[in-house]
Amino acid sequence: MTRVVAAFWNPIVAKEYRSRMRTWRSPLAMMIYILLVAGLGFAVFSSIAISINQFGGQTANYGQGLFEYLVVFQMILLTFITPALTAGAISSERERQTIDLLFVTRIPPFSIIWGKLLSSMSFVVLLLLLSVPIFSLVFLFGGIELDQVLYSFLITVIAALTLGLIGIAFSTWLRRSLAATVAAYVGAFVLLFGTLGYGLIFPTAVDAKTTKAPAPPAITFLSPMLPLLYIANNGQLPFPYGVQNTNGFLTQGGSTVCGVSPGGGQFCSTTSGSGPSAISSSGSGFSTLQTQSSSTAIPSGLFEGWQPWQATIVMQLGICLVALLVSAFLLPPVRRLPWRRRRVVELEDA
Amino acid sequence: MISAEDLTKVYGQRTALDHVSFEVPEGEIFGFVGPNGAGKTTTLRILAALLEPTSGHASIDGADVAQNPARVHTRIGYMPDFFGVYDQLTVAEYLDFYAACYRQPKQRRTKIVGELLELIGLTDRRDQLVDTLSRGLKQRLCLARALVHDPVVLLLDEPASGLDPRARVEMREILKELRGMGKTIIISSHILPELTELCTMIGIIDHGRMRATGSVQDVIRGLSADKRLRITVVGAREPAVAILEPLASVRRVDIANGTIEATYEGDDSTAADILQALTAGGIKVSAFSQVDGGLEEAFMRATSEDV
Repeated sequence: MTRVVAAFWNPIVAKEYRSRMRTWRSPLAMMIYILLVAGLGFAVFSSIAISINQFGGQTANYGQGLFEYLVVFQMILLTFITPALTAGAISSERERQTIDLLFVTRIPPFSIIWGKLLSSMSFVVLLLLLSVPIFSLVFLFGGIELDQVLYSFLITVIAALTLGLIGIAFSTWLRRSLAATVAAYVGAFVLLFGTLGYGLIFPTAVDAKTTKAPAPPAITFLSPMLPLLYIANNGQLPFPYGVQNTNGFLTQGGSTVCGVSPGGGQFCSTTSGSGPSAISSSGSGFSTLQTQSSSTAIPSGLFEGWQPWQATIVMQLGICLVALLVSAFLLPPVRRLPWRRRRVVELEDA
Repeated sequence: MISAEDLTKVYGQRTALDHVSFEVPEGEIFGFVGPNGAGKTTTLRILAALLEPTSGHASIDGADVAQNPARVHTRIGYMPDFFGVYDQLTVAEYLDFYAACYRQPKQRRTKIVGELLELIGLTDRRDQLVDTLSRGLKQRLCLARALVHDPVVLLLDEPASGLDPRARVEMREILKELRGMGKTIIISSHILPELTELCTMIGIIDHGRMRATGSVQDVIRGLSADKRLRITVVGAREPAVAILEPLASVRRVDIANGTIEATYEGDDSTAADILQALTAGGIKVSAFSQVDGGLEEAFMRATSEDV
């Protein structure tokens, strides 16, 4: 038990917390972060208030709109913040010539990486917690359920973890912090927007021969933007993306297109290659995640039957694992494959 | 306690270490002398399991540095020649952090930190931020950091470099205290007088090769340019000179400051033969001693040879 605790809670975490929170940079970063999120929230909120006054309409739609802006903006902000937190984690220790002092202690290289990761991720979680009161604004309007918020935060945290580990992997591989930071930002933007770009350039072509509805290419689900947009829009993308119809134009992927009718009712239509085949309508204007879960699964492709957020999280955790293993392999001053070292220790003990 | 066997390290075209071998028994203080770039740091980094030798073996307290670095790390306290400190940590927190990294339990850490701060004389600065300390104090703190787990071996790479004379003396006093504690220490330095006073053994390294190794006196004697005898006699010196000059082992005889200085070839028994020849010739010898060239001369000689 103590070994497990020691592996997860090591002196590096405590030291990093101390160093990080004693500088003026951290409170400043938190303040700027919250001002930016609150500023965007206020801007959207204000424009909604004006819209309601002038045009009326369903407040639930406005709540959904506000939520969508907030989750996407928060994700973009974290894309800028997380690489900065982790890309210097190991390289700065090398530059400051403190890494050797750690290597000669009993802290294994994996724990060094873990400690750096945990302390950076704690700061990200702190930022996310700071934004919770702003997200609660959404509930003033309604239209978003609590589980949609929780799923969005889960996607955001996992995406930040992935960006963090990419940063640490580059920090371990490249000796200079500047190079590691640049590489981590490039990695972050490829993950978030490069994958989305792929869906624009190489969309899935609608195949008239299959009865399955087309879905954007599997790789595009690497971007956390896609599931965030799916969740914020009740299982749909707000714009045509990732699927090319027979005319060569992008169209909305997914099996169900939902919209809000002028009277506030919600209608959904199931699409296939040939166009709408069934239309159902509900008068309430609200749909729960429970009901969407059954209808918003990815209709075809590698992740057929999965929810978009599931595909995103599984792929990102895969990247996390690879980044963690690469970092743990590259970090030790004398690299040796673990099974070889174990054999040697056993021989010596014998 | 410490053994290095044929250590070789090659960086591309450059050979940093060329079959370096030495042994340091328990409790000895081994002075590692050599000009900059001679291979001192490379050797110490290999011993600290921070660098893999191209070939050769090294072990510390029975643990092979290449095969079992984790065990080596529990035995050694390592102080690199260049090191940084963390921002925003106090002196006590800095030591506590490293003690925790060496898996010392929390209750013991408080005691260890207190004792080490006393050893290095920083008790009154325990709450000062580490990065605001002077270089001398940082060096002392780094030495204390290497001691948090009470290692049996200390590897100190230029612990006194860049220090002013006062800080250097203070560092030397701390090292003497550590010697008193029975630690086996390797200390690299280019400040020779310090090593002569502090060390029991010495190794001279140059261009990656070990030029000489052994006890301080052996190394000096082995490398001295000339072996000299200083002889004081009662009465006239000329008869003594007349006896010395024809001896085959004696190369030159001078009279300086009222004593006779004879340069000779051979070992300790040759010196004894010379004394015997003098007494047999009826010369009353009141003082007879071998004159060492000194470590500095030995060092210059060892490192200037183009082997």
